[in-house]
Amino acid sequence: MSVLKPFSKLPGLKTATILLVEREEQFQQSLADALVEETGVTVNVRLAKSLPLPVENEESRPRIDLVVFIINLTSELSFQSAEASLKYLDAGYFLGKVCFMVTNARNTLVPTNRLDGVRKLAASLQCPLLFAEDQTPDGVSNATERLLAILKVAAGLVPMATALYLSNLTRCTVPPDIDQPSFD
Amino acid sequence: MGDTPRRLLQRLIRRIPAQELKPTLEKWGRLSQAQLQTIDFTQSKWALTGKLGTICEERNWAVKHITELELIYVIDNPNLGMWHTFQLMDPRDNAHTVELLQFKEQFKSNLSELIRNVSVKIKKHTDEAVWIRIAWGDGLSQPNHFKPTYVVHYLQTPYVFVTSLNSKQKPLLSQALVLATSYHAIKDANLSGRKFTAIRDLLMRQYEQVFPRKFHSPLKERNQIVTDPHIEREQAESSANRLQMACEAFGGGKLPQLQSAVYKLETKFRGHNKSMTQREEPIRCVVKFASTNILESLRNCASSGIASTPVTPLLSSIPLKGRNYFVITDNGPGPSQTRQQN
Repeated sequence: MSVLKPFSKLPGLKTATILLVEREEQFQQSLADALVEETGVTVNVRLAKSLPLPVENEESRPRIDLVVFIINLTSELSFQSAEASLKYLDAGYFLGKVCFMVTNARNTLVPTNRLDGVRKLAASLQCPLLFAEDQTPDGVSNATERLLAILKVAAGLVPMATALYLSNLTRCTVPPDIDQPSFD
Repeated sequence: MGDTPRRLLQRLIRRIPAQELKPTLEKWGRLSQAQLQTIDFTQSKWALTGKLGTICEERNWAVKHITELELIYVIDNPNLGMWHTFQLMDPRDNAHTVELLQFKEQFKSNLSELIRNVSVKIKKHTDEAVWIRIAWGDGLSQPNHFKPTYVVHYLQTPYVFVTSLNSKQKPLLSQALVLATSYHAIKDANLSGRKFTAIRDLLMRQYEQVFPRKFHSPLKERNQIVTDPHIEREQAESSANRLQMACEAFGGGKLPQLQSAVYKLETKFRGHNKSMTQREEPIRCVVKFASTNILESLRNCASSGIASTPVTPLLSSIPLKGRNYFVITDNGPGPSQTRQQN
């Protein structure tokens, strides 16, 4: 089983690498185009549909600083695919180098227990949960800014801040009454 | 001018969109250039109908001239409802040498023998298609020109495309076609759709075919959406494989626009419910896939991984066999043929 390890390779100078994992392979493309436009830091973007990553790319792949799972809430398969990919990540990633990004949270067709399920997953792994809007360029640029903020910390490019410290501040928490029925 | 030709002309002018009226009349060829100049095409349709009506009266034209114009319009705009496909079976010895004049005479005489009071108009289009317009009457009444049947046949192929045919007229048409084309029988080809060009292109394979290849293309020009050197797709090879298999099954480029695929299942229940699996009789259900372009949708399902690749023969037989209605029974692993119909 090929598990992705966080510290088995050397980092690059002023470089940060992000891995975007999305089953639908749609939003990751527009995010990637926006992420590489960052000046000041060289951002490498790797796109995947799911983990495990193919072993052929093992040699040429740089050290991955941040893994982002993009989940489309309108699709149950999207959530299941992200969940299934988690076991191919080494435990070292869950100390601030994994983040969940969710799209279509405002869509009325989404059953409420799916978002609760994602929340519980993110909270149990102590990872941040970001909400993004993927249809407009504004939404894409907002999501890009937030990902860049976390990425720079995870790559060690921000002095006095580490990924573990940041994740402690930003991790997802579930309210104690999450399993109670809500009154919409 | 009689009442029927006048009403027919009126209906036809109303149906033809304003910007296509002049080109259609020019193609018709019965009005001279001078006459066409005198008609002001910016008038309302009502006024145009009146003007054309007077010209027709002057020239003493009857129903058959108006139906000629209608046929010309329909040939260029064949989307008038559902088209159904038939296939001719068991050719006789001279089936492959039937040519146009012979077909025309035989068809007209056969149909007139089978039913009196039928009006048939045949025209050969530039792309080898023979278009037939049939207005049906019976022993007592005149042919009804307001509900014609259109038939398209490509000579030397066994395919016939029909629209607006009812069940009483079907055996008569089948008989006439079989005799005129020197085949023994005709059966339903289980392919229907709203766009005539789409079902014709599907059946005659006039769309881009993708063939399986052993080695990867050295040019790698497909799926190159990513151009930035900093962006790398990890699973590019597997998604290229999926795309290749999807295109092999359904075709590349623009695909013919079919609207639906229907599967009629008559199989035993296979699942986890104990009481259902113990039943002897097969479960009957109908599964229908509908879309504005079903082949495009299915190809996208296969290339994005929603449908597993290699593509299941249930889906890939739509373009392979050129049909979109299947009956699936327990007998064989794939879809079986429907009963023969004459």
